[in-house]
Amino acid sequence: MLFVHEFHTVVGRRAADFESAYRDGWMPALADGTDARLAWYFDLAHGSGLAYRVVTVTAVRDGPAYVRLAERLARGDLQSWARDLDGLQHGSQGRVLATLPWSPPFPALEELPTGGDLREPTMYMEDTMWPFPGKLRPYVEAAGAVYRPALAAEDARMHMSVALGLETMPGAGRSPEVTLLQRLSSLEPLIDLLTRDLPPEVTGPGSWMHEALDLRDRWRSRLLRTAPWSPLP
Amino acid sequence: MLFLHETHRVIGRYAADFEALVRDGWMGAVAADDDARLLWYLNHAMGSGPSYEVVTITALADGVAWESLGHRTRDGDLADLAVRLDACRHEVEGKLLLPVYWSALQDVDLAAVPIDAGTHELSVYMQDTGWPDAPLDDYIELWDHDYWAVMRQAPPERRLLDIQACFQVAHGSGIRPEAILMQKVVNFSTLGRLLSSVEQHDPTTWPGTYMAKGLEIRDQWESKLLRTSAWSPLW
Repeated sequence: MLFVHEFHTVVGRRAADFESAYRDGWMPALADGTDARLAWYFDLAHGSGLAYRVVTVTAVRDGPAYVRLAERLARGDLQSWARDLDGLQHGSQGRVLATLPWSPPFPALEELPTGGDLREPTMYMEDTMWPFPGKLRPYVEAAGAVYRPALAAEDARMHMSVALGLETMPGAGRSPEVTLLQRLSSLEPLIDLLTRDLPPEVTGPGSWMHEALDLRDRWRSRLLRTAPWSPLP
Repeated sequence: MLFLHETHRVIGRYAADFEALVRDGWMGAVAADDDARLLWYLNHAMGSGPSYEVVTITALADGVAWESLGHRTRDGDLADLAVRLDACRHEVEGKLLLPVYWSALQDVDLAAVPIDAGTHELSVYMQDTGWPDAPLDDYIELWDHDYWAVMRQAPPERRLLDIQACFQVAHGSGIRPEAILMQKVVNFSTLGRLLSSVEQHDPTTWPGTYMAKGLEIRDQWESKLLRTSAWSPLW
């Protein structure tokens, strides 16, 4: 399975039309076939970063399915949809990603909802890391062996879990780069993280925060909120 | 056919090692499956932009070839080589490209692309990447009707560039809207005049007409002067 991750800079005045293009255009268009499904539609939470930014994640069966989809958009039945979308966004930055070896299982494409049923929004923290040159594999291994289990521990500071662990496919983004899509199950620890300094036991020698500095020291967190109709919560 | 475009930000101290790894390792290894070939290895000409930046373009037969390359570099026979390349660069930024409808380059006879690293003269390309304010299709059409068509009609002594390929970014693998021209510089004197002359966009002469009309749909682009290595399969 591959994941097309897009970061859209939406024309503010057309934000509702943009959302509609995905809900009423893209999602059902993909549902008509077997190659791909829209998995998530996120708004970047206002107050936490750039305005009118949307993240979409589309799950694609495999490489040939991706190429079929790209050709439909470039010169096929989805070309006019893409052309209309050009008027609703200033632009988008896309990446095609593959799952990390330890990423949690993802549902089969056929199991992804396509009906746009409404539910309460869910918050995600999307972390993107850039390991030092030559440190991509050691970082992936360490994140899987240390970081992910720590999130699941009973005394974990953050109440969140990795929904997907991803890295860039060759020629479809930046490398070395790793993205973790993490679902928050409680807001309180997030507010605590945002409003307090990290205690020494979290940042000191022996901690993940400290030891992982040998592998990377640059990352970016985005706070994303699912649209009520997003296929996956 | 897909074209894998990668911009490598190489660690200056390891520039020679990086080039040797691509020339002596990567180029042949990628070709082992007969469904992929390195086409161009291009150094960003120092003095015209960033230092130690390399552009490579690799042709892939189809989606299977691309996915296979992904598996091979992550945990297959190319994994060790990929780690060594990673250690020689700060980062690599890639995108998958599809030829636009009027591009001279559509398919590549992969078996005919050399992998023996024989040496040859150097060529210089002007790679133009543009980001329109209008729908991408309109930009691609503008290039066809008002840039390429006019360029072909120019007398040989006035030609600066030969457009060898024009691409758009495959869905979700980079920026949209974005399109790319791979243009071989065929007259260095004309290039010198372009670089050193005061810009006069006379709407009655080329390229003034295109420059004026082009502003209706875009005013942001980037030209990179890229020089092939002496062993680049295409030059």
